[in-house]
Amino acid sequence: MLTKDRIGGLLLLLFCSAYLYLSYGIRMLPFQKTHAFNAQTMPEALGFLGIGLSLAILVFSGKSEKLDLRGYNWGVGAWMIGLTIFYGFTIRSLGFIPSTTIFLMTGYIVLGERNPLILILASVPLVVAFWLLMTQALDIYVAPWPNPQSWLGFLWGIGSA
Amino acid sequence: MLEGILIGITTALTLQNLIFVMIGCLVGTFIGMLPGLGPMSAIALMIPIAISFEPSTGIILMAAVYYGAIFGGSTSSILINAPGVASTVATSFDGYPIARSGRAGKALAIAAYSSFSGGVIGAILLLVAAPSLAAVSLSFHSTDYFALMVLGLTAVAAFAGKGQVLKALLMTVFGLMLSTVGTDQTQGVQRFTFGMLDLLDGISFLLLAMATFALSEALLGVLRPKSDEDRRREMDAQRNIGSMALSTSEVKEIVPVIGRSSILGFLIGVLPGAGATIASFLAYGTEQRIAGQKKGAEFGKGSIRGLAAPESANNAAATGSFVPLLTLGIPGSGTTAIMLGAFISYGIQPGPRLYIDQPEIFWSVIISMWIGNIILLVLNLPLIPYIARILAIPGRFLLPLIFFFSLIGVYFVSFNTFDIHMMVIFAVGAVFLRLLGFPMAPMILGYILGGMMEENLRRALLINNDSWAFLWERPLTLGILIAAAAALVVPAVWPWISRMLGRRREDAGEGG
Repeated sequence: MLTKDRIGGLLLLLFCSAYLYLSYGIRMLPFQKTHAFNAQTMPEALGFLGIGLSLAILVFSGKSEKLDLRGYNWGVGAWMIGLTIFYGFTIRSLGFIPSTTIFLMTGYIVLGERNPLILILASVPLVVAFWLLMTQALDIYVAPWPNPQSWLGFLWGIGSA
Repeated sequence: MLEGILIGITTALTLQNLIFVMIGCLVGTFIGMLPGLGPMSAIALMIPIAISFEPSTGIILMAAVYYGAIFGGSTSSILINAPGVASTVATSFDGYPIARSGRAGKALAIAAYSSFSGGVIGAILLLVAAPSLAAVSLSFHSTDYFALMVLGLTAVAAFAGKGQVLKALLMTVFGLMLSTVGTDQTQGVQRFTFGMLDLLDGISFLLLAMATFALSEALLGVLRPKSDEDRRREMDAQRNIGSMALSTSEVKEIVPVIGRSSILGFLIGVLPGAGATIASFLAYGTEQRIAGQKKGAEFGKGSIRGLAAPESANNAAATGSFVPLLTLGIPGSGTTAIMLGAFISYGIQPGPRLYIDQPEIFWSVIISMWIGNIILLVLNLPLIPYIARILAIPGRFLLPLIFFFSLIGVYFVSFNTFDIHMMVIFAVGAVFLRLLGFPMAPMILGYILGGMMEENLRRALLINNDSWAFLWERPLTLGILIAAAAALVVPAVWPWISRMLGRRREDAGEGG
């Protein structure tokens, strides 16, 4: 029976097998290979240990719960993951203040807030205050607005292509 | 020692550090109160800010966040029966029934006094235990350290709980595997970098901690929305707190409970891998047995003893878990593993030398524990009715903010957008593993200890001319390794032993 433990064990078995396979691809110089303990020793041992433990879970997991994925908001979760990836791409190109404001506002909308005034009040002042705290009080500088140079470079790249 | 205490007091009592202890306690309470976000997430969220200060201030701030988060976790356990962390689950057994009977204020006050006493008693024991252990551990060799790390990792299995041993061990190995990503420090060889420059330095500890705790918790919050009934319960709880005063008879009843549970909690906390959760359950069970038939029957229905015991034990255990961290440089729990990562970010290596080389850090952390506990009592207790209102902030605002703080905490350290994308990958992986019931704390413990373990083993082999004989030739190393093996084997065979003993007792009873 495919229980929670077995699914987890199977996933980690795949990971450990891939890890062990890749550990054989660690490139060393010939003299490094002769050491009793080299860069490959620990990964190799861990790979075997991980495979052994995953197999033990698959065999001895007994009557654990079955995985039930119903009742979860998968769509909203996917939106938030997508939004986070988008934030990673925009934080530098758009600058901290616009990108974070977009991130927070969209996050509130995705999770159900629709009032435009609340959306603005719960994001803009917070983002500006946070930026001020970081740059003025803690001396951590982050560009607040888009950097024209990076955009020019980006557009130049597209133009020349 | 007296000189050390004075150094600690002088460092911890500066205006700047006092302010940061206050901020840490408040922020920790605030974060710890959010269901799901525990001390580990709270400390992880604070690291980027803390490392911009000088080491003693930063460490004091994080220690204060730690106590604050434990205290905050108890508040959500009592008010809405939603323990922020596993260590406050036992608190909800009696705390929530007391709150439901309209005495939430009293339950919060008992929790605050018990936490305070547990923390203070724990800090006194730490004051005595830490320097003694540090002095002994000065004679430790790299072979002993390697063995101690193996013990720390296998002890996870001993306290993993029924049916969790194999999963905890596998997650520890998973953490060890992640620690091997990047450039091998001794040979300068790239491992599992796939030719990516961003992976040359390995996976950042902060990134891993934030992704697997804070971000995955927020993602789980998005996936599992709260029902209207839960929301109504939270609103009611934060509106009706009631009186916080305790009667003389109640004080008399809980004082011995607090004393016993604090000592028990501290001793459990010192053991690697045990931590505050085991301590709180053990204290709860012990007190239920000691209480006698009449009082014992009240446990689970609103007993003040049942609330005081786990609360004092979990705080004392939190303090106790600092003993192996400060003296051996080995984290005993997931939370102290994150603290160790923070120490390393400062370039400080906790261990026996810390006591000698940087006494101001060693002692100021211990002294700040007292100050933190006093501040928690004096400042947080009156503020609790107001702080509890955080429970009324709708999830649709809170969750994107947790996302934001987790991401930005990592980004502001590296300024590398690759880290944000890597966090998403780890958070998604962590969510699936958590849904499958695989624990995350052993993974972070494995990750933190992995690098050190490999380094110590390699050094030991180098000193011993590539011979593995040190594993059985040095008595201390052998002793620790035997303890590690026992930690692995005993939980597996214990049910069988107890069954055998039970059968023998039955046979004896029939015979007699």
